[in-house]
Amino acid sequence: MRKIIELKNITKSFDGEVVLDNISLDIYDNEFMTLLGPSGCGKTTTLRIIAGFEQPDQGEVYFLGEDIAALPPHKRNVNTVFQRYALFPHLNVFENIAFPLREKKVGNAEIQEKVTEMLKLVALTGFEKRSVTSLSGGQQQRVAIARALVSKPKVLLLDEPLAALDLKLRKDMQQELKNIQKATGITFVFVTHDQEEALSMSDTVVVMSEGRIQQIGTPIDIYNEPQNAFVADFIGESNIVNGVMLEDRKVRFSGHVFDCVDIGFGKNEAVDVVIRPEDVDIVPEEKGMLKGTVTSVTFLGVHYEIIVDINGFKWMIQTTDFVDVDERIGIYLEPDAIHIMKKSEYSGMFGDYSSFSNEFDELSDAEAAAEAEEEE
Amino acid sequence: MKQKNNGLASVQRAALGPYGVWALLFIVVPLIFVAYYAFTDNSFRFTTENMTRFFTARSANGTYTYLLIFWRSLKLAVISTIICLLMGYPVAYILSRASARTQKILITLIMIPMWMNFLIRTYAWMTILQDTGILNSLLRTLGLGPLHMIGTEGAVVVGMVYDYFPYMILPIYSVMAKMDLKLEEAARDLGCNSWGVLRRVIFPLSLPGVISGITMVLIPSISTFYISQKLGNGKFYLIGDAIEGQYVANNLHFAAAIAFILMVILLAGMALMQRYANRKAYV
Amino acid sequence: MKPMAKFYTALIMLFLFAPIAILLVFSFNEAKSLSVFSGGSLYWYRELFRDAETLGAVRNTLILAFSASILSTIMGTAAAVGIHRLRSKAMRAAMDTVTNIPMINPDIITGISLMLMFVFVGRLFGAATSLNFWTMLIAHITFCLPYVILQVLPKLQQMDRSLPEAAMDLGCTPVRAFLKVEIPEIMPGIITGLIMAFTLSLDDFVISYFTAGNGFQTLPIRIYNMTKKTVTPKMYALSTIIFFTILALLIMTNLIDTGPGVERPAKDKPERPAARKKARRIALGIGTVLAVGMIAVMVIAAPKKPVLNVYNWGEYISDGSEDSFDTIKGFEEWYLENYGHEVEVNYTTFASNEDMYAKLSSGAVSYDVIVPSDYMIQRMKDEGMLLELNFDNIPNYQYIGESFRGMYYDPDELYTVPYTYNFVGIIWDAEQVDEEDIGDWDLMWNEKYAGDILQFNNSRDAFATAQYKLGLDVNSDNPQEWQAALGELKRQQPLVKSYVMDEVYNMMESGEAAICAYYAGDYFTMLDAAADSVDLQFYTPERTNYFVDAMCIPSCCQNKELAEIFINYMLEKEPAVANAEYICYGCPNSLVYEDEDYAEEMGEEAMEILYPDIERFGELYEAYAYRNLSTEMLDTINTLWEELKIN
Repeated sequence: MRKIIELKNITKSFDGEVVLDNISLDIYDNEFMTLLGPSGCGKTTTLRIIAGFEQPDQGEVYFLGEDIAALPPHKRNVNTVFQRYALFPHLNVFENIAFPLREKKVGNAEIQEKVTEMLKLVALTGFEKRSVTSLSGGQQQRVAIARALVSKPKVLLLDEPLAALDLKLRKDMQQELKNIQKATGITFVFVTHDQEEALSMSDTVVVMSEGRIQQIGTPIDIYNEPQNAFVADFIGESNIVNGVMLEDRKVRFSGHVFDCVDIGFGKNEAVDVVIRPEDVDIVPEEKGMLKGTVTSVTFLGVHYEIIVDINGFKWMIQTTDFVDVDERIGIYLEPDAIHIMKKSEYSGMFGDYSSFSNEFDELSDAEAAAEAEEEE
Repeated sequence: MKQKNNGLASVQRAALGPYGVWALLFIVVPLIFVAYYAFTDNSFRFTTENMTRFFTARSANGTYTYLLIFWRSLKLAVISTIICLLMGYPVAYILSRASARTQKILITLIMIPMWMNFLIRTYAWMTILQDTGILNSLLRTLGLGPLHMIGTEGAVVVGMVYDYFPYMILPIYSVMAKMDLKLEEAARDLGCNSWGVLRRVIFPLSLPGVISGITMVLIPSISTFYISQKLGNGKFYLIGDAIEGQYVANNLHFAAAIAFILMVILLAGMALMQRYANRKAYV
Repeated sequence: MKPMAKFYTALIMLFLFAPIAILLVFSFNEAKSLSVFSGGSLYWYRELFRDAETLGAVRNTLILAFSASILSTIMGTAAAVGIHRLRSKAMRAAMDTVTNIPMINPDIITGISLMLMFVFVGRLFGAATSLNFWTMLIAHITFCLPYVILQVLPKLQQMDRSLPEAAMDLGCTPVRAFLKVEIPEIMPGIITGLIMAFTLSLDDFVISYFTAGNGFQTLPIRIYNMTKKTVTPKMYALSTIIFFTILALLIMTNLIDTGPGVERPAKDKPERPAARKKARRIALGIGTVLAVGMIAVMVIAAPKKPVLNVYNWGEYISDGSEDSFDTIKGFEEWYLENYGHEVEVNYTTFASNEDMYAKLSSGAVSYDVIVPSDYMIQRMKDEGMLLELNFDNIPNYQYIGESFRGMYYDPDELYTVPYTYNFVGIIWDAEQVDEEDIGDWDLMWNEKYAGDILQFNNSRDAFATAQYKLGLDVNSDNPQEWQAALGELKRQQPLVKSYVMDEVYNMMESGEAAICAYYAGDYFTMLDAAADSVDLQFYTPERTNYFVDAMCIPSCCQNKELAEIFINYMLEKEPAVANAEYICYGCPNSLVYEDEDYAEEMGEEAMEILYPDIERFGELYEAYAYRNLSTEMLDTINTLWEELKIN
């Protein structure tokens, strides 16, 4: 596979605040790459550097091996789908899509042909003369995509394009975006703070936090083999406890020694241990490797989400078995349910559910989304 | 916020250049000249005599001439502004709640008089208000005694109110038009009567418009000199008349001094009001 | 709308449109009065279109408004774009403050501040004229700019910031992105800004008053300067035409697009059908063409022929109105005939001697011929502001009557050619005043007529009435005597209905007031327009103000010979008679006062009043005319006057 874009040691700060801290990233041909992270992690800035709206303070940007740091946006073969679409309200659907072609002085017949083709691609045939302000959010989204694709860029940058859509529409558009990417063979760089979206659409996920890349990998790698507590917590739910690696495949945490599948750590090295809530089996108290008291039970349709107090540390467990609050239970962990990570700056910050509540979580998600919007 | 060096922003910032130079040359520097003239005498030597004269000049019967003139101007301007506000506020409200079409027509109607020459409009008021004028003829036919209006403070106030009325309506209207109608409904839902809705919701929200309306009426009324000459029968000598009088008498330095004092007082007043408005309007 | 709201709105509209209705009605008045309607006619409309000076002022006003609004819109839009992109908070605050200054500052201060600067800078560079069309344009652009910025800036702030980025992303250069995407987005703001700037510029009087200069006179200034005679229904006719033009334009723009005023939030904006958009484009196109055309005409028409700048009192020359002879046009034709090439007369007016003196002494303007009054001539002569005339170029000076030669202000006949002379008398309405009460100045202090007496609204003339009454010297340099006169004026104050200048015409013609002191010549003007219920009479008190207005050449003159030729032409029989008939003042030109046709035209009463005893004129003049007073004295009088006015 061919490298299309290469970011090398990019650093960027605004008003003395470091937004990107020495980032390096390769983007390949025909790849669906997602930049994932909470608001303020630098993902949008990365996108804007690729598009040419921002200049890095340090570092280089290569496009097909060529340094394009000095190239203005309109000369880059990269197009963007903006968060709120940025459709031109004074132009109709057809003219919005035809905009880049007219800028290149393409002939009328060719414009007609290309725009029609694009409208077909995004399933908006027949909408040519409509005013863009009269379209629904989903339709506007499609126009924005068609407009960005019509001049066949090498890379399409998408800045949280689905954030403004409702849940159902969002799922549909995710699928459709994936299809369009396959059909056109264009590299997509997709920015989102929604981990589910990232996992379901991407070939490669780049997890970012505080201006640094935390992990690059396939969705499965990212989920199963998080490299630090931040990634583990940000992608899905995780119980993260302090542990000590006794030797290869032996780890001790919560006062118990477990078998695991990880190797290559130093003897007696302090580590973070990640256990996904769905990987925990509930067993009668006496059969459990660890024992605790159920403090809360929430019914979520497919499963229950229960919080268990084990020696003062609250674990989250997802299970289809029913237990009662205040019930004493034991838990059992398979070796491959245990994932060992090196200690990092994020150790101890995540993975304890002692103050957990669903509402709270949703609330902070919504806040994050709002912040992300403001940031633009 | 986070846009930098993307070409557009810097090109566009450069567009500020001509205006920046213009504003410096034709807004800031002239004000420095006012101060310069105000503090110099005819041969451009420094003096505070012009200032002292404004504050200490007394007429034979002991009144402070210019302080009295200033006080009178302020009084008439404040009365006019209050009347404009009381008359204009309901208009702005009615306008903002009318249908889009009615709004457009009414706004146009309100603006039309502004296109008629200011001097001619004032002249027309003379015809209406004088003792043998239209209004008195009308009153006579109704069997009511002639009313002496021209040459009274009332006539000057009518002139000021008339000439600056649209400046009160338009800013208030533009704030009200943007106000969410649901706020009113919410207030009613929460138990406000009409008066309560006005006092606790509409008025506080319309305050920025009210402030700018007050500014736009008060400032020209305080400094006018034509209205007082024509409708006041030359009996109400206002601060604008004083400046113009000194200019015509070729006392440029004293004219500049009066202008300077007026300017300082007004700017300070506006700054205070702006501060008050900012606190009040929850901005 | 609810009925109450409807009723209230209707009341407000009545208030707003009452004066305008008055304008409309009186523009069709048959008579000259602005307060007595005596029958419909289109007379004043015909007059309006014959009045080259007014039409010129209208043209100037439009040129100025077009140029100022277009330039301020361009610069203001650019400024708004720049301000919008400012990142530094301090810079933004600074720009906001500076932008607010012209809006918060009263017009009179903006006007004075610019005037002071122009004059100062002009003097520094020794420019002959520092106030002219360009200074007015600068002033107008300056006070329009903030309004444009305030209209455009919110539109930029409302605009989605990614729009221009999207355009660049799709291949536009920054400049093209601005033109193709941002401009259409902020267009409503730009158009509203343009309309506001145009309106403000069109209606501005105060700032123009202070920054107006050489030969470029706008309509408001012309109206203000009409103090020597009065505002005629001609101006109402003009206003009526303006009213209907604006109405038509507004209806048109309303049909085409949202009118001026405040836009509703974008979401309720209906979709614009293509046809309307096209119409708007056409309207914009026409506007641009008109504006460019106007500017082009102005630039091209910038005179290549010699120009003569004449500065005279308002309404102080026969100008072709009311079937009179058009003196200015007459001169231009006469000159072409006799000298074989064209000349252009740039004719501007002033409202008072002091007004003219202020402009000339500021060094801000340049005129070739001026017509000041005697005492002002003395002052200007003493200050070296006048040039000696070459009487070889003014052979017609021979016709000036002996009594009008060698007056105190020009004893050696070097600087002046008398234009008119007149004196103040008392005009009274026989319907309201008993004949036995008349006589001398006492009538103006007669308590029987309290509230019906008019007094001059300028210090020197008002003081003079008291001084003549008390037998004091009007040229006294003894402050005590002036105090005495002030006392007399204060005593009179409760009786005075109004202190007037040109309003005197209306008030006397309509019977609003019964007694006034005014110039003999103007008495005839009032007679012409007086209502049927009014019976105006005139008498001359023993001691009164005799004055001469004379043509002079100021030291800033650019073309002295041409100026002398003009002065000579003004003494020719045809223009001189026309002027004398038009102004109704006494004429020192024997070609006029010895002419029988003129005497017949004026009528017996007028001839008797205006030319009672020409031989005695010199004597009376010597005894009672104003002399120039020292600056200190003038300042004292001004202070005393202010003292009177604040009571």
